[in-house]
Amino acid sequence: MIRVQQLVKDYHLGDSRVRALDDVTFEIPTGALAAITGQSGSGKTTLLNVLGGLDTADAGRYWLNGRDVSHFNPIEWSRERNRTIGFVFQSFNLLPALTALGNVELPLVYRRVPPRERRRVAEEALAAVGLPHRGHHRPSQLSGGQQQRTAIARALVGNPPLLLADEPTGNLDAETGSEILGLLEHLHRQGRTIVIVTHSTEVASRAELVLSMRDGRLLAPGGGAA
Amino acid sequence: MTWADGLRTAWAGMWSSKLRALLTMLGVIIGVAAVITLVAIGNGASNAVASRIETLGTNVLFVTPGPGTPFTSSEVSYIRSNTPMAQVVVPLLSSGGQLSLGTSTVAAPVVGTTPGYERLGAIHLAAGQFFTPADLALNRSAVVLGANVSQALFGGSNPVGAHVSLLGQRFTVVGVLQPVGQGPGVSQDNSVFIPLPVAQFLLRTNALSAVLVGAPSPAAASLAQDLLANLYANRFGSTSAVSVASEDQVLATLSATRATFTNLLAGTALISLVVGGIGIMNIMLVSVTERTREIGVRRAVGAVPEDVVLQFLLEAMVLSLSGGALGVGLGWVMVHFAPLVVKSPAAFSPDSVVLAFVFSTMVGLVFGLYPAVKAARLDPIAALRYGG
Repeated sequence: MIRVQQLVKDYHLGDSRVRALDDVTFEIPTGALAAITGQSGSGKTTLLNVLGGLDTADAGRYWLNGRDVSHFNPIEWSRERNRTIGFVFQSFNLLPALTALGNVELPLVYRRVPPRERRRVAEEALAAVGLPHRGHHRPSQLSGGQQQRTAIARALVGNPPLLLADEPTGNLDAETGSEILGLLEHLHRQGRTIVIVTHSTEVASRAELVLSMRDGRLLAPGGGAA
Repeated sequence: MTWADGLRTAWAGMWSSKLRALLTMLGVIIGVAAVITLVAIGNGASNAVASRIETLGTNVLFVTPGPGTPFTSSEVSYIRSNTPMAQVVVPLLSSGGQLSLGTSTVAAPVVGTTPGYERLGAIHLAAGQFFTPADLALNRSAVVLGANVSQALFGGSNPVGAHVSLLGQRFTVVGVLQPVGQGPGVSQDNSVFIPLPVAQFLLRTNALSAVLVGAPSPAAASLAQDLLANLYANRFGSTSAVSVASEDQVLATLSATRATFTNLLAGTALISLVVGGIGIMNIMLVSVTERTREIGVRRAVGAVPEDVVLQFLLEAMVLSLSGGALGVGLGWVMVHFAPLVVKSPAAFSPDSVVLAFVFSTMVGLVFGLYPAVKAARLDPIAALRYGG
């Protein structure tokens, strides 16, 4: 599903240069549940942003779903994200003005799905994450766990083959976090490729593949928490 | 994102913060209402000009001396002898004056003229008669009152036969004119007419303000105009020494002045619309900053930059067009109340509604574009991290 080769990414902070990705090469097979772990500042979030096309590497190649996407421009990336990738964020990132259903529908709005059709698909997605009757609530009326479930429904609604999750349990208590993790594992068993960025060893321990980062470098498989 | 989705989003956004939306639109609302009201007042005045052209007829020429040109009573016979097509040639001497009856006083333009004035067809008597050749020959102090003057001094009662004081002399009212309505310049309703020799005696002058020439047809009037213009140009060596213009030309000039005035008013109001647009841009920029994270989320789920431009541009357009619609409503109400306040007729003009709508659409487009482009250019990663 994902293959990257010698990715390099530098950040310039004033005069100093920070190498966020340093010669990163790996492959995540289709259907895998992978974890990217590492300390704060190890480059794991940068890696996730590059994988999702929100950021671009300075050098290296990237194949997504069999296509070379190394030189995609922002518009091509927007379309690719809309079809291929579902994003889940640590802080949920639901739009407060929209209902849960409105939030879940969002990717379909940009796919130009007619309103009635997308409402139906969004209702199905909310039911699939265990929130069948919360569609008309605003995010502020939902608990943290329910908000993250809504966000996962939004990531799923367009039926993308890949989910990218950035610390999905980081803002949740242990029990709720575990539920969300269970939900992601459930989605994984349905055949989706899931990449989770985390510094939780518990999350990493449940992944099939762990990519450990330190100072922008990928440690040898098994070199991190495995 | 489709246009329909963009409109739905914009409408929902506006509806969810009504007070803020209303305050944002206020500039456009006031601007549009101002355009409609001021254009209506300008049009009302122009309509009054047009209606007066019809009451006075189009066959009358105004022969008016320029500054410094000697122009005395002898010009009447000069014009009469040189323009055989003229039916009526009437001298005019205009002045300001005050009319008193007992303790009440009214200011009125005084027109010294001859009985021939009645034959120009410009006046119709409500009571009594115009002064006669006998009044003129005997230097009688006879006065004919305009409708408003009569109303001011005598109320509804018939003033014929009463005595009034004017230019330090006692006059006898011999007639009252019917009202003709508001016109450009001096209204005949506010004027009083006295025999020319009396006026010249009291004002200690033998000069004339103008000579009116009445022709039987527009063609004859046009012919007389050319003839007189040539005669005077040759006599004084300048075309500006004496101007010869038809009544409708004089009024057309006034009408053009009115139109300029209307355009100026509309221009001022359009400036206030631009100010309203700046208000919209201001709030849209605030909105873009507030919703930075939302923009990041939308980009993450697949919005291309053009989608973001469309969304914010449509929001600005919905604001400015809603403001335009409310402004048209407010303007319509103001047009109906304006005559009570400014004492001038106002005529609602559909053109001004179109103008206001076109302009508020443009305001939305022009002032919405910068915030929308700014929103679309945000870096999605920075936007997602913003404020949290």
